[in-house]
Amino acid sequence: MGNDIVVVCEGDAGRLKKYSLELVAKAAEMATALDATVRAVAVGKGLAEALQVVGPYGVTRATAIDAPGLTGHYNSDAATAALSTWLQQVQPMAVLSSTSAHGRDYLPRVATRLKTGFISDAIALTVTDGRLVARRPIYAGKALVDCVVTGSPQMIGIRPNVFGLPAATGGVATVETVTVEIAPPRETIREVVAAAQRVVDLTEAEIIVSGGRAMGSSDNFRYIRDLADALGGTVGASRAAVDAGYIPHAHQVGQTGKTVNPTLYVACGISGAIQHLAGMRTARHIVAINKDADAPIFARADFGIVGDLFTILPILTEKIRKVRSA
Amino acid sequence: MKIGVLVKQVPDTATKIVLTANGRGIEEGNVKWVMNPYDEYAVEAALRLQGPLSAEVVVFSLGPARAVETLRMALAMGCDRAVRIHAETPLDAFATGNALAVAIAASGCELVFGGKQAVDDDAGQVLQIVAEVLHWPVVSVANQLHVHAGNDGITVHRPAAGGVTEVVELGFPAVIGCDKGLNTPRYPSLPGIMKAKQKPLTEQQSRDLLGGVSPHVVLQQFSLPPDRPAGRKITGDPENVAQQLVDWLHNEIKVI
Amino acid sequence: MTHGVQGGRFLVRPVGEADPFIPEELSPELQQLRGLAIDFVEGEVIPRDDDIEAQTPGVLPTLLKKAGELGLMMVEVPEAFGGLGLGKIAATVVAEGAAGQGSFTAALMCQTGIATMPVLYFGTCEQQEKYLSKLATGEFLGAYALTEAGAGSDALAARTKAVKTPDGKWYLLNGEKQFITNGGFADLMTVFAKVDGEHFSAFLVERTMPGVSHGPEEKKMGIYGSSTVPLILQDAKVPAANLLGEVGKGHQIAFASLNIGRWKLGAATMGQCKRILRRVVQYVKERHQFGEPLAAFELTQQKIAEMAIKIFLCESIVYRYAGEIDRGVAALDPAGATHFRERAKINEALAIEASISKVFCSESLFECADEAVQLFGGYGYLREYRPERYYRDNRINRIWEGTNEINRFLIPGTLMKRMAKGGIDFLTELTTILGELKSGFATVDPAVPLAVWQDQVNQLKKLVIYVGGVAVNVYGPDIQQRQQILHDMADLAIAAYVADSALARVLKLHRRDAAAAQLPLCMVTAYLARRLPELKMLANQAVANIAAGDAEKYRPYGKAVGKFLHYLPFDLVAARRDIAAVILARGEYGW
Repeated sequence: MGNDIVVVCEGDAGRLKKYSLELVAKAAEMATALDATVRAVAVGKGLAEALQVVGPYGVTRATAIDAPGLTGHYNSDAATAALSTWLQQVQPMAVLSSTSAHGRDYLPRVATRLKTGFISDAIALTVTDGRLVARRPIYAGKALVDCVVTGSPQMIGIRPNVFGLPAATGGVATVETVTVEIAPPRETIREVVAAAQRVVDLTEAEIIVSGGRAMGSSDNFRYIRDLADALGGTVGASRAAVDAGYIPHAHQVGQTGKTVNPTLYVACGISGAIQHLAGMRTARHIVAINKDADAPIFARADFGIVGDLFTILPILTEKIRKVRSA
Repeated sequence: MKIGVLVKQVPDTATKIVLTANGRGIEEGNVKWVMNPYDEYAVEAALRLQGPLSAEVVVFSLGPARAVETLRMALAMGCDRAVRIHAETPLDAFATGNALAVAIAASGCELVFGGKQAVDDDAGQVLQIVAEVLHWPVVSVANQLHVHAGNDGITVHRPAAGGVTEVVELGFPAVIGCDKGLNTPRYPSLPGIMKAKQKPLTEQQSRDLLGGVSPHVVLQQFSLPPDRPAGRKITGDPENVAQQLVDWLHNEIKVI
Repeated sequence: MTHGVQGGRFLVRPVGEADPFIPEELSPELQQLRGLAIDFVEGEVIPRDDDIEAQTPGVLPTLLKKAGELGLMMVEVPEAFGGLGLGKIAATVVAEGAAGQGSFTAALMCQTGIATMPVLYFGTCEQQEKYLSKLATGEFLGAYALTEAGAGSDALAARTKAVKTPDGKWYLLNGEKQFITNGGFADLMTVFAKVDGEHFSAFLVERTMPGVSHGPEEKKMGIYGSSTVPLILQDAKVPAANLLGEVGKGHQIAFASLNIGRWKLGAATMGQCKRILRRVVQYVKERHQFGEPLAAFELTQQKIAEMAIKIFLCESIVYRYAGEIDRGVAALDPAGATHFRERAKINEALAIEASISKVFCSESLFECADEAVQLFGGYGYLREYRPERYYRDNRINRIWEGTNEINRFLIPGTLMKRMAKGGIDFLTELTTILGELKSGFATVDPAVPLAVWQDQVNQLKKLVIYVGGVAVNVYGPDIQQRQQILHDMADLAIAAYVADSALARVLKLHRRDAAAAQLPLCMVTAYLARRLPELKMLANQAVANIAAGDAEKYRPYGKAVGKFLHYLPFDLVAARRDIAAVILARGEYGW
């Protein structure tokens, strides 16, 4: 076994994913404690160039793995075979990767070929006694567990976007391209269908912006729609807004409407009757904007703004657009 | 043809999770045990092919004695027979996958369905491990499927990041992970529940199936997530408060 | 009597001598049946609540058909007719599990109870073959048409008339039945009519038969979604072969069906209590006042605990009843020519217990619904929240299947009939009690677990018999007109049966696992500690009433009553806190 930590990077359209870069930086930071060297690796066509960006984050050795059968599209069989073949040659001490949709799919397969264990969806990494300890949520985040891979290499998948990106230091990476021999993949990718533009169901929405009676008219709901658009979210409403006829019932969140479970819930001009709270209490983050400082919604909100909706919402929408397009 | 289904008994998603005093597990006293919701799609997928492929559907579960209830549920839904692999304490995904793979190989199944992940450990690994041990191809998440006209393979839709769908074709044998949207699982019927009693349910020991294979992941300590910190409430210049919120969304909770 | 079932005997047997079936004995399959009923209601029925309550055409019948496809209607139908051939215990788990949406519950209970059972118990082979399989699968939806405008509680006063055609092939039915549950869509109805205006009889009437129609939907206080219509019979042409049972024996069918309906109503209302408690527990944990969740307040805990206790008591009587029926049926020859008639007789033997189940469970549900409104406060009064619905929807249960008043009268009335017929030897028991009043009740060893409470419940039964004895002695046959006394006697008898069943259950659990019996024991003792002093007061007032308030006449009675049920000090606050703590942690009572 070597003392390499391999960071498996992902890329798209010739660019490395930001979460891969974050992982590279995190590995570089931990390398000292493990007395290890970090290597970045990417599987697939056309990522050699993209791997250059790891240099400034403390990793100078990068490998683009190619194999006959790898195409621009993800193929579970081919990715599994290519990565595990290469890892069997390299024999690293640890393999870090992201549990993106594709990562979750093929990394357990790679681990099995290497006859080791894999921890998926970690949200924190520490080092104890020279081994990596991963913390991961279980029971849908209702509990956490610290776990260790006792096999070798230690393979851990990290949930995307949990580590921030530190400032770049200005190093330069040398990227090699390695071609490995793999068996022809048994799965055929017949087609890749792009996301259809569709109205997201409230119950499945990740981000919801809801308006209440304080919106005052159906026309004013455009403020809510604009903010939802800017956030890539869906429009919700309180019962009061629905009853007032500002928006159809399909948008109602609460006891007699939909029960939602988004990552972010933005309540605009909603006082927070228990009826409404019952429908959105499991939202991970709650933002409330209301001119009434005593509105019960503030007791549930992680971030509350006391102020005038019609002034704040356009400014907020504009700022979010800027951040997202940057 | 024989079709296998892998099911797991898990706490109902409404269960409040309470840790044991030593922090090495969860209190099971008030837990209501149910079939893993994603596994219901797997059972349904198998049952829909039961007739067209004249298939025997064999349901497998690895777990303690109470896992029998979940197997009975699958039998009541229409599976033909059940195999429980006894493991008194949970095994890691690697050992679980190995034990299941050995049992599946012995059963002669050529197509295996399972839920894309179990809602207890949320790991989503066992199906891929089973496939690897059996040297079969696998699609770990599928929300649409159809069997080819000649019954020689299957086409599935695999959801990928950003709403993209990958249309994947596989020959048999294969392992398919089932996601919400694949189908609407049936309820077991009352006659189904009563008949399930008569259906064969065999038991095997995980240690016999595993030979020398041992787990590779150790769970050290459980903890509960920190309480939601008291929210902040700000007021003042609209430009300024909007900026503070954007910073929070961007830097702290990272949703934008 | 081949089945060996004798109702009312609980009064003369010491606690625990009978071996009641307890829900803790349910097999895994039966638990799964209940789980299916629960999942179906939560997954298919409750999500359609708005449509059901708006009586959107087709919604309720479609849900009923779906329930039929899953087998929820075939539990008690024999296998020969496409059913599962299971007994009352199985029917109980389905009834309690399927409760949850009042209109749907009413429709389903009507289908599996009073619509199906008359055919099962009284149908000819041909009638059973023709109709049971269809009712079992939901292909046919059924109804039961007894009530008329002038014949409610006095059902035999019906004016609907049946006349045989001269060729002997048909009966022509004329009249109007009212308050027919499922009447708007039922395919088959058991209709009661008097042949030649005299002989009370039952007929199986299909909706497609000529001359059968129904009137408009009634506007009701609750269960808006259930169909309640008048049934109109205008020269309704019913084949002579559709006469159910014999001419002039319709009352047997009517009463046997009601017995079934009463127990079934008990089971369903118990299930609804469980749902209400679950919703209330969720609310009191979420709702904060004075900086604390409502659940942290002592009075909230009292309400939660009292609801849980009621559910435990309901379970104890409903499952006991089901178990006794199944035991009786098991003793019958399944192939006997009169098998199904014998089964109807078993039901009749347990008429008292069926009435108790109806009264006690429907009133428990009413109290749970009322407390749910109270705990929700202002929100409880709003239509948007469930308690307002619980409150309206539950109310009918104290009225239909015989009002609770009629059912109360039936309890002492039937007991006295049994006594007169010698079925139960109350006289010997009364003599023993009078002797004990002189010599004093035997002392109990307080070291024996539960002995003190067993003794209390045994004394309660003796008190019931004593008060009954005094009443009969003073009034003679005239007692049937003394409705207020009958009502008090019924309350005493109901409490005795409930206490007997619940304590017997605890004794059984205690023998199996003393630690696991802790919570049930706490619930039963909390009930007895609160209720026994009230019952003693009730008995005291009853004998004072019988004495017409005359101090001289009252003195011996009062002295006697005073000797029963010595007060046992008990910390109800602590008991309720312990009970509430378990329920709050569990989030529900549990099934």
